[in-house]
Amino acid sequence: MSDTANPATKMDIDEAEIDEGLYSRQLYVLGHEAMKKMAASNVLIVGLNGLGAEIAKNVCLAGVKSVTLYDPEPVTLQDLSSQYLLREEDIGKPRAAATLPRLSELNAYVPVRNLGGRSGQEISVDMIRPFQVVVLCNASYEKQLEINDWTHPNGVHFISAEARGLFGSVFNDFGPKFTCVDTTGEQALTGMIVSVDKDKEGLVTCLDEARHGLEDGDFVTFTEVQGMEELNGCKPRKISVKGPYTFTIGDTSGFGDYTRGGIFHQVKMPKIIEFKSLRESLKSPEFFITDFAKFDHPATLHAGFQALSQFRKQHQRLPRARNAEDAAALVSLAKKIDADADEKVLTELAYQATGDLSPITAVIGGFVAQEVLKACSAKFHPMVQHMYFDSLESLPSTLPTEEDCKPIGSRHDGQIAVFGKQFQEKIASHRQFLVGAGAIGCEMLKNWSMMGLATGPDAKIQVTDLDTIEKSNLNRQFLFRPKDLGKFKSEVAGAAVSEMNPALKGHIICKQEPVGQSTENVFNDDFFAALDGVTNALDNVAARQYMDQRCILYEKPLLESGTMGTKGNVQVVIPHLTESYSSSQDPPEKQTLSCTVKNFPNAITHTIEWARQEFDAMFVKPIESVNQYLSEPNYLENSLKYSGQQRELVEQIVSYLVTSRPLTFEECIVWARLQFEEKFNNAIRQLLHSLPKDHLTTSGQPFWSGPKRAPDPLAFNSSDPTHLGFIIAAANLHAYNYGLRGETDPNAFKKVADSVIVPEFTPRSGVKIQITENDPVDQAASDSNDSNDLVKKLPPPSSLAGFRLTPVEFEKDDDTNHHIDFITAASNLRALNYKIPVADRHSTKQIAGKIIPAIATTTTLVVGLVCLELYKIIDGKRKLEEYKNGFVNLALPFFGFSEPIAAAKNKFGNTEWTLWDRIEFNNDPTLKEFIQWFRSTHELDVTMVSQGVSMLWSSFTDKKKSAERLPMKFSKLVEHVSKRPIPPHTKHLLVEVMLMDDEGEDVEVPFILVRI
Amino acid sequence: MSVSPATMRRLMRELTELKNDPPEGIRVVTNEENMLDVTGIIEGPEGTPYAGGYFKVRFEFTPEFPAAPPKCWFATKIFHPNVSSQGEICVNTLKKDWKSTYGIGHILVTVKCLLIFPNPESALDEEAGRLLLEDYESYCSRAKLITNVHATPRTRPPEFETPAPVNPEEGDSIPPSTAVAPLPGDPLPLPIPPSVSPRKSAPPTPIAHPLQPSLSNTITNSLATSTSNKERVTPMPLSTANSNVSGTSDMTTAKAGKRSAATGHSGIEKRKKALKRL
Repeated sequence: MSDTANPATKMDIDEAEIDEGLYSRQLYVLGHEAMKKMAASNVLIVGLNGLGAEIAKNVCLAGVKSVTLYDPEPVTLQDLSSQYLLREEDIGKPRAAATLPRLSELNAYVPVRNLGGRSGQEISVDMIRPFQVVVLCNASYEKQLEINDWTHPNGVHFISAEARGLFGSVFNDFGPKFTCVDTTGEQALTGMIVSVDKDKEGLVTCLDEARHGLEDGDFVTFTEVQGMEELNGCKPRKISVKGPYTFTIGDTSGFGDYTRGGIFHQVKMPKIIEFKSLRESLKSPEFFITDFAKFDHPATLHAGFQALSQFRKQHQRLPRARNAEDAAALVSLAKKIDADADEKVLTELAYQATGDLSPITAVIGGFVAQEVLKACSAKFHPMVQHMYFDSLESLPSTLPTEEDCKPIGSRHDGQIAVFGKQFQEKIASHRQFLVGAGAIGCEMLKNWSMMGLATGPDAKIQVTDLDTIEKSNLNRQFLFRPKDLGKFKSEVAGAAVSEMNPALKGHIICKQEPVGQSTENVFNDDFFAALDGVTNALDNVAARQYMDQRCILYEKPLLESGTMGTKGNVQVVIPHLTESYSSSQDPPEKQTLSCTVKNFPNAITHTIEWARQEFDAMFVKPIESVNQYLSEPNYLENSLKYSGQQRELVEQIVSYLVTSRPLTFEECIVWARLQFEEKFNNAIRQLLHSLPKDHLTTSGQPFWSGPKRAPDPLAFNSSDPTHLGFIIAAANLHAYNYGLRGETDPNAFKKVADSVIVPEFTPRSGVKIQITENDPVDQAASDSNDSNDLVKKLPPPSSLAGFRLTPVEFEKDDDTNHHIDFITAASNLRALNYKIPVADRHSTKQIAGKIIPAIATTTTLVVGLVCLELYKIIDGKRKLEEYKNGFVNLALPFFGFSEPIAAAKNKFGNTEWTLWDRIEFNNDPTLKEFIQWFRSTHELDVTMVSQGVSMLWSSFTDKKKSAERLPMKFSKLVEHVSKRPIPPHTKHLLVEVMLMDDEGEDVEVPFILVRI
Repeated sequence: MSVSPATMRRLMRELTELKNDPPEGIRVVTNEENMLDVTGIIEGPEGTPYAGGYFKVRFEFTPEFPAAPPKCWFATKIFHPNVSSQGEICVNTLKKDWKSTYGIGHILVTVKCLLIFPNPESALDEEAGRLLLEDYESYCSRAKLITNVHATPRTRPPEFETPAPVNPEEGDSIPPSTAVAPLPGDPLPLPIPPSVSPRKSAPPTPIAHPLQPSLSNTITNSLATSTSNKERVTPMPLSTANSNVSGTSDMTTAKAGKRSAATGHSGIEKRKKALKRL
């Protein structure tokens, strides 16, 4: 029997076509090639409890050819502890059948099937033959061995996974010879070289600007090498690293003499991985370590999980929660397998065996789903071969009793089995503020609904997100469906999880306000007073920093997390214990020199950055200037005072408003054609006029060498699709500026573009203005006369009342708006000028749009880790070592955990303080009182006082101002300096001071809270 | 734009320092209403075609500051190989060589060094770059012309009229960890690449005959009074942007050394000054 509830199966799915709109962010993680392989893979998932559902969800979202489910057992109430695709009304129905409809809603491209079966009928070898990947969830070892004995020699990829309480286990067997095509997912490295020795071990030296970043054993090939031409396009050569700028490539002694130039390109070589069968691996396991602080746990759990399987066979049930007798039985079974196994850990495994926690199924489920994708696509290094995970630190400090952990006939019985009833009540009364309802937010709400967070009588979950749902969100923000496009994320997400756990109905407050200074009337003192903690689910540093400051002010714990592709991190911030989010910062990306972008590009990223700047310079900034000229009185006079670019600005306005203002679309095409000439021909000829190709530097080296690639002008050719692509995009964007109707038929463009008469280019000579020392003043005069003459050409704004141009607002995800088309064409034309390999639209879009790659698997796992920390916050743990910051990279794979860093201790006088301390002033003191307080109480002199971005007073404020300000009350002073009224909801001001002691040393003190 | 309190504190400290003890030929203009609105003024160094000019450099801080450099551009027109017509500045310090310990003062000193030692190899204004290499006289004349037209006010900017509030002899106490000086263990920028050698053909020797004698003289005099107790800027004439920075770092390090040596008694002076103003 096989049924399908998916409309997509009725369509003929073309495997070669990938929906870039839907898969946009994931494509930047996996690439087209891997996704095409996935689109040819059929995946079977056996066991549809919480873990199976989590794996199935992520595999469906990622996009494979089909997902098939097997689980004929009836749904129980306890399944609802973590199986979020099931509802109470599903109890008694077969699990797979009940799960299927909700799973198949997730991705219309992935048909979900049910393999059927009857209750009591286990999966068997004859059922798994048609699949490329088989995943067994919570299956007995006997069953795992039976299936794996067949899959191992038959080329079917096998994964088994288990989640019990705070424990998880995964086993991979992708066959005796599995080829992995990309072991890291990192971009292939490339770099310029300056020499290659002719030697048995030829030494390659890179340009001093950049480290090569290669590792021993990597492979490289070369292009553009002069002299030693044998290297160009050579078979990949294995390297060994000699230094950050040097490596050797083996024998080059028979080659020509290197003269100059050359670029190395890393070549990713496939890696063959030999997996052991489960039968073999159980005897001699290879462990993948998730936490080096618990290096001995894997071996213990290797025995423990096998013992658990034996226990289940012997007793036809799992060990009872916190039952000493059952635990002793399990320990003795495990000791027979491994006498060294840790008794304490085994006992906890027995105690928690009936436990079923949503955060653990998320961690294991996210991880396993990525392993499934690896099996399908050969992209990223599979986990070898056993992974054991636990989060025992999440247990409450006061352990629950056996009585407390007994099932109570609630959907949370799986959680109660681990934490106890009393703790369940604590969870139900915990109040969180979730900032963001995107990818992390959706996963968070799902876990929270399964945990029963805030389901207690007075508890609420607050959620805010200003965004509405877009197509590219649907690939991983799994609470959203195509019918929700355009709706507010927070509302749809809140409604979706209230349906998952109806006890949440009325307990989720959804908002659309962004967090920031402008919404402090909404997220005010009362709002924070009603919270137990804050969880960030944000996508930008500024908002994260802002929430960090708010949490410091209100002394609330903060859970912070983020993902980028297969990488993710979790940070816990606990008041008066850890440092805060802003205490450490990731190093930002290195920026490109502006002269590299403007004149000397040598990589496609440089031409894309240039094209993005041109986009603003052609379709945004001049338009805004024109509009300002038309709407702001004295705009020219005012803005010209400040800039050194008077002439340029006036010229621009004249051009856009008078001389080049199009009246028809044809004129836009003409304009675009002339822009082509200007950007890709004239500008290059001008540069070569100033710096000819044979130009030598003062040291006699060719100027155009190394990172400086000599450009060549491009002659326009309307039959070249890149050339015409530029004309089409530029003309349409220009037309948009003027509210003219666009056009997309290439033939129309071709005809007009070819008929444009392009003026002959003559380079501007650097000595055109031959300056003698006698006439500088004349020159100056003529310069400003010029702009005056130009201004006369401008129509007075009054003559164009109501007329405005429309600036373009850059939007990367609309494929019909010509924005990315323009940037791709402009970037590639410039790349052709400089003989840089061009980039396709998809890669250009990522760089120009600064798109952060994203995939559901990483998010699921990271959010699971966040919720494991949330248990600790709910418990109120006060020891640093009980919390864990986490870092993962699913591609390698890699897990790393570390204790959070303690808040740094400072001292002033005899007072120790951290970032969590503050000095409070009540009753709106005057500045004078404020300064005197520091003098009399701490013998410190105030040298500067600031609030927000305003500098209220400093030692260099002049006497008159000082005299005026000192008697002012703070509220008055702030309004006086900032020239803005304090909003009525503001009850306190955050003030920073600089202080000096009697020795003249700067003294740092906590931040200051002035109540007004 | 909001920045974190830690960043705000850092800016407060830097601005105080730049007000009380500015580097030679450099001043900052602050805006009480918005401390993020910072403008530096660089006095055109003597012996360069920029002498007599006062060049405004504007700053814009992003939420990533100080991990990422601030945006920084010339608001005064200048003819210089490393400054574009839009005022962008091409210098490694502001891009790939940025370190979070650098601050406003470091940037301004670096840019000032760039006025003394332009780097034609990383030209933003290729015309200026070529002139500098091929026809130093023409480069100078044109740069002087632009300086006269766009950067030379009738009167000195008031910021340069008031001497630094502290007696230069006393120096000013600056904790060794402040932003202007790289931390002691901070590695200096990259070594000089072997392929480049010091520029010989166009040494930036002082021009013997200033364009406008009276004005130049005034400046020379006032410079002499306000800076007599400070080290002269003497970076090596090297030809890459990197090397320029290297010169700067040497200088600031030396300066920081002097300053920390002076710590102890000088601060009292500053405090007294501050109190007088109350």
